[in-house]
Amino acid sequence: MAISKRFPAWEQVAAVYAVIVVVIYSWTLLWFFWKYSGWAYFMNIVEIANILADSLTINLAESIVVLLAPLAAAVVLPQKWFRNDFVARGVALVLPVLAYMIYIAYQLDHELDYPSAALDWAPVVLLATLLLVFAVGRFSPLRKLLEAFADRTTVFLYLSIPVSLLAVVAVIVQLVF
Amino acid sequence: MAKPTRRDFLKLAALAPGALALSTLAPKLLQQNKSSDAARSNVIILLFDAMSATNLSLYGYERDTTPNFKRFAKRANVYHAHDSAGNFTTPGTASFLTGTYPWTHRAINAGGLIARNMLDKNLFRFFDKEYTRLAYSQNLWDNYFLTQFAPRLDAILSPAAFSTLSQISSADLKDPTFYRAYDDFLFHSGNPPPSLLFGLASQLYFRRKYFTQSASHTDYPNGMPRAGDYPIYFELKNIFDGVLATLDTLPAPYLTYFHFWSPHAPYRPTRQFTEIFNDKFKPIRKAEHYLSTKSAQSQLNTRRHSYDRYVANLDAEFGRLMDAFEERGIFENSYVVVTSDHGEMFERGTDGHVTPMLYDPVIHIPLMISAPGQNTRTDITSPTNSVDVLPTLLHVTGHDVPDWCEGTLLPALGGKDDLTRSTFSLDAKTNPAYAALKTVSLAMRKGNHKLTYYKNYAGKDTFELYDLANDPQELTELSASDSNMAPLKDELLAKLDAVNQKYPAR
Repeated sequence: MAISKRFPAWEQVAAVYAVIVVVIYSWTLLWFFWKYSGWAYFMNIVEIANILADSLTINLAESIVVLLAPLAAAVVLPQKWFRNDFVARGVALVLPVLAYMIYIAYQLDHELDYPSAALDWAPVVLLATLLLVFAVGRFSPLRKLLEAFADRTTVFLYLSIPVSLLAVVAVIVQLVF
Repeated sequence: MAKPTRRDFLKLAALAPGALALSTLAPKLLQQNKSSDAARSNVIILLFDAMSATNLSLYGYERDTTPNFKRFAKRANVYHAHDSAGNFTTPGTASFLTGTYPWTHRAINAGGLIARNMLDKNLFRFFDKEYTRLAYSQNLWDNYFLTQFAPRLDAILSPAAFSTLSQISSADLKDPTFYRAYDDFLFHSGNPPPSLLFGLASQLYFRRKYFTQSASHTDYPNGMPRAGDYPIYFELKNIFDGVLATLDTLPAPYLTYFHFWSPHAPYRPTRQFTEIFNDKFKPIRKAEHYLSTKSAQSQLNTRRHSYDRYVANLDAEFGRLMDAFEERGIFENSYVVVTSDHGEMFERGTDGHVTPMLYDPVIHIPLMISAPGQNTRTDITSPTNSVDVLPTLLHVTGHDVPDWCEGTLLPALGGKDDLTRSTFSLDAKTNPAYAALKTVSLAMRKGNHKLTYYKNYAGKDTFELYDLANDPQELTELSASDSNMAPLKDELLAKLDAVNQKYPAR
């Protein structure tokens, strides 16, 4: 089968991408607004907007990189293993991994800490994730729950995509001028 | 020839960023016709972050922390009552570089910026035509200012230049916004990185690299010195070697500004200095202040001990630099300025300088200026302030002092002892830069007296008055008994009112 035919439908890709966007953008925006109150003491609105533009550009790149994982799984694995339930399995794949990354990020408070203990759990998290991806096909309620969640997050793409593209333009303008 | 060791290679690698920057810069600099002014004196500024005059044997400290600074003093003007205009890097360096007080340049917040309408009011602009101007700051907060002044600088070295291990993502970008976005936000270490994928990956990679490389740096039992929360690890020796190599390549005359992170925390001396000062020295115990962080005295003493050792380590490297300056004849044709941006305190329940307090340890900083060919020591005891350095350097290099400058000429370098003059130090980090100062610590030094006003802290306003000539440790508070209190208080309050006039109240 041609690789292009192995790709899921755009609507399905959008649903999984929306879940990734919600997690990655929310994480950055959370810290952005946490910092904002301090920045507002000495930076003007244009300077703060520039930082937001840089952040959203990075978020756009990050979300696309993360999306590559379920897309690769859909292309590489047999259709019935992943592509046929792309939305549910895709969400089941990315959500636990992103949650684990957030957990690791919280372990980085001290400069000399290397989160060895947290990273030791990586194989377990990976295995649990794969089990979840497998379980999604077996338990219809779980599949429907994940699909419903992904479907509801799709609305955020109407905001994130245009704003991110605007941010990319702003960053290019900053770099050039 | 001896076979180069891995350590030799690492040392060379540490110099690479600076060499790269200079190799890019050199053709441009050499094209400029600066030889006609080669007879002009160079200006070399060496600013040591968080170096308190209180802990330097140069100024009478019990532990012999600075034998090499004392050696340098033999050929310099030594200012004994020199205060910083701020009690942390942002206001301290901004005042030094602009010759104005924090209420004017408005860099009052942690990591704050100089007011955008003041960007052309800085030391570097006056040396435009005839000097090669180069700046280097290991402190990223100061580097924000350097990027703000970029149009007036021929070269800005990366904060990571000469370091052993670093991960500054936007080091070569001259826009302060990029530093803020990437190094101070998205990839910032010390916090969960706001960039969940790239930031996390970058931190994990860097930490792994640190653990791998730090094992080979056994000279540092407490870990390699680091630039605060930023992923820049360095060896003092390499930093000073890098500075010297930089000076060797610069076309004269030049104005150079080197802001060293050390002896700022973390205090990490080499093995040679980790066991010194095992003495019976016990600092005077001072009452805990109501604005203190309530640190235990034993903890403060331990921290002071570490700080003193690190200062001694820094002093030894400074001595090597002085030797090299002597060998190269740099003292014969250069003004060499040695100073700091703020101090460090280990008393009254407070450790470090993240404090609203303005006691001497945190604002009393070293200042020594060696004039070209100077070989005698001159001691100046009248009060001076970091805002005075800019006008003085302009004066001694034949430039006009601008009228917006709030400092005056330093005694022995064009100025006179003036015990009637008032100088100021300010902490206003919790105020917006664009509004009147509401919660503020303001110290006014006049003659022997120092009056400090703590306004709007813990719901109250307090004054503290000390006679520094008779009570340099600030032990006897005189506001209720000294007849000078009333006029000093009136003057200080009038000053605060005046500087707040231009800004909206909150």
